[in-house]
Amino acid sequence: MLRYLKSLESKDLSLVHSMISLGSCTMKLNATAEMIPVTWPEFGKIHPFAPLNQTNGYQLLFKHLNEWLCEITGFAAMSLQPNSGAQGEYAGLMTIRAYHESRGDTHRNVALIPSSAHGTNPASAVMAGMKVVVTKCDERGNIDVADLKAKAEQYRDQLSCLMVTYPSTHGVFEESIIEICALIHSHGGQVYMDGANMNAQVGLTSPATIGADVCHLNLHKTFCIPHGGGGPGMGPIGVAAHLVPFLPGHVQHPLNTQVMENTGAVSAAPYGSASILTISFAYIAMMGAEGLTNATKMAILNANYIKQRLAGDGQFEILYTGTNGRCAHEMIVDCRPFKAVGIEAEDLAKRLMDYGFHAPTLSFPVAGTLMIEPTESESKAELDRFCDASKHPCRNSRN
Amino acid sequence: MKINLHQQESFERRHHGQTAQDLQEMLQTVGVDTLDELIGQTVPATIRLSKPLDLPAPQSESDFLNNFKMIARQNRIAQSYIGMGYYDTIVPNVILRNILENPAWYTAYTPYQAEIAQGRLEMLLNFQTAVIDLTGMEIANASLLDEATAAAEAMTMLHSQRPSTKKNAETFFVSDRCHPQTIDLIYTRATPLNINVVVGDHAKVDLTDGSIFGVLVQYPATDGEVIDYTDFIAAAHELNIFVAVAADLLSLTLLKAPGEMGADVVVGSAQRFGVPMGYGGPHAAFFATKDAFKRHIPGRIIGVSIDAEGNRALRMALQTREQHIRREKATSNICTAQVLLSVMAAAYAVYHGPEGLKSIATKIHGLTKAFADAVAAMGFEVLTQTYFDTITVQIGNVENLRDEAQKRGINLRYNANGTVGVSFDEVKSFGDLIALLDLFATATGDGLEMSVPSEVEFAFPKTSLASRLI
Repeated sequence: MLRYLKSLESKDLSLVHSMISLGSCTMKLNATAEMIPVTWPEFGKIHPFAPLNQTNGYQLLFKHLNEWLCEITGFAAMSLQPNSGAQGEYAGLMTIRAYHESRGDTHRNVALIPSSAHGTNPASAVMAGMKVVVTKCDERGNIDVADLKAKAEQYRDQLSCLMVTYPSTHGVFEESIIEICALIHSHGGQVYMDGANMNAQVGLTSPATIGADVCHLNLHKTFCIPHGGGGPGMGPIGVAAHLVPFLPGHVQHPLNTQVMENTGAVSAAPYGSASILTISFAYIAMMGAEGLTNATKMAILNANYIKQRLAGDGQFEILYTGTNGRCAHEMIVDCRPFKAVGIEAEDLAKRLMDYGFHAPTLSFPVAGTLMIEPTESESKAELDRFCDASKHPCRNSRN
Repeated sequence: MKINLHQQESFERRHHGQTAQDLQEMLQTVGVDTLDELIGQTVPATIRLSKPLDLPAPQSESDFLNNFKMIARQNRIAQSYIGMGYYDTIVPNVILRNILENPAWYTAYTPYQAEIAQGRLEMLLNFQTAVIDLTGMEIANASLLDEATAAAEAMTMLHSQRPSTKKNAETFFVSDRCHPQTIDLIYTRATPLNINVVVGDHAKVDLTDGSIFGVLVQYPATDGEVIDYTDFIAAAHELNIFVAVAADLLSLTLLKAPGEMGADVVVGSAQRFGVPMGYGGPHAAFFATKDAFKRHIPGRIIGVSIDAEGNRALRMALQTREQHIRREKATSNICTAQVLLSVMAAAYAVYHGPEGLKSIATKIHGLTKAFADAVAAMGFEVLTQTYFDTITVQIGNVENLRDEAQKRGINLRYNANGTVGVSFDEVKSFGDLIALLDLFATATGDGLEMSVPSEVEFAFPKTSLASRLI
């Protein structure tokens, strides 16, 4: 059995081998110390519907983690129930839906979603009974404010919400975000912020500061739960004060008080995948406020360093940057110019594997590109190795 | 030189990749003097936080683990007989150390790049194969988030696949013998889609009601009853109604498979295949169905393909169903699933093999049978006729039993109607059975005055057995 498991393990690439620079996936260090409590029996051998007086440890964990995540997001309350990012999106949209219904606005069912959004956004909106209206991006990769304005006005009587990723999926802190959120609010809509890129915000800005009403946090991205090869994850949502009464409830909630009457359960268990919340708790407890803020700064530095190394000599073009020519914590590398010499983005992605790297995110959110997110945890040596590997095949081909 | 006695090992230093010297070189490359200068050029001033985050001071690794152990110890581990889809289980040591605690497995990413993911793709294929085998279905996915969301996914898939004669049917009937958390979640998911949920007794539902497009039943039922749904499913199919079955994977090593009964979809949890309960998760749910629905299944599916040289190779299949391609037209919004946990469950199935799994299930059933016989002999009424691992018992004075159970660290399922549910799992021993019987004996006012046999017969009829066992 051991040999079988090892033979399978040895076929795969993971963070034990090299950086995994997948954009929007935040493959940061999952420190061993953060992982140790997961397999403590005090967390593992607890039934989700065990009496409250047997779970004081878990209740303390939830209390602190809620407080910390509220401080980080600027929101009034969290729900720890959603057990993936997409589940968080759904829970957040259902919360918005219940809020509108409580005000008699049952007709508000239009979700505005920029074309650059993750695929889960429109899919979640449909599951929450919303009609998806796609808005454009401009040539800089930002939300096309004119188009958004036009659509927000066109649907002002039916507007439920805007779903926006911040910084954008194009790796840019859009300057217009406050204006955008105000615009949606002026038409009676709510702003849902997709927290996939939260690793560029912690300690520097926050969802509440930019004007969002609700957001999910991918604890398996920003807060160190490892990806597990495609799960588990946790996608708790934070909400502003006016949405608190509409957060998900649960028939088996240990306090047995359905504080929230408007949204039912979104996961089978009241606290989703509770045992892995220990990992995010550990990360925050060991990093502290300054450490978390430094992590965000380092993530932005690492991305801009890669950007400079790849594009500084003109070999690669970076698709979008902010007004000062900087990227956020990730960037999109345009591979389409290499088509002329017969190289596609996919060839570059596959070539990186020959150098022992995982490919960056391929052709999202723009076809023919690679999106690179190094995270704060990678050393300069590893970033250099990655840049050298990325530049090598293209240099060969250009010559 | 002064020595600071409060000095502690910094975790942050290890989380970040750069040394001070690296940092300077990188700043120079980027073209700024300080990190804050770069941040000032990157994050618009209008959205910067006005003050630092207010969080507790950072702890070193060893301090944190010591302090956190104190918090962990405030959880009290009880003997759980609650059931309801969550069971204590033994994580085989080879899996604990080499998968669950092994960063080579837990730090990998979703296997979009098949060339560097053949290992976990194989284990996910094992997961699908075990699910297909046990449920008796034709195709299975590589995990969903939990049983309740899997049941909701079944509802929405069947809703989207209504035959032309049922295009206006908007009612999903849910057996009241499904787990309560599943029913709760189905209400949530049905409401925005304008699906009308009716909860009731499946044996009494009027299937000729043209508004019903699908039904969900639980197998074994949440109260433990093993119900053969073969005739019910046939009757439903006559009227173009789909039937989804939420099933317990371990029970299917002994019981007739839902696929043999004609089920259209089978969902459930693989938690008890060696994944700790964890106060609710994580664990993998499964989703199995008929081949005809393969383009409408939610979640990732692993398929067998060939590589450029003609060798067998695995990859994710039928991705055009999924949200990253289909967006608002996707079959589901699911993205992150439960890969690590389905890998663990598959490894558990490999570790025990078919005979080992049957042996675990058989012992669990035997303990349940012995318990049922003994409490019946004590004079309690056992309400479950045919059972696998769960029975429901009528108790006169539940409060007494509950108080005593709390004192002894035993968790039972206390139903609103005053009955008590008891579910066995692979962790429970003969000694645990005696301790449980002793608890119930106190509720009679007498001590335990019976001998419990160390061997029992199967309690369910042959017709309930999996065909491969007959």
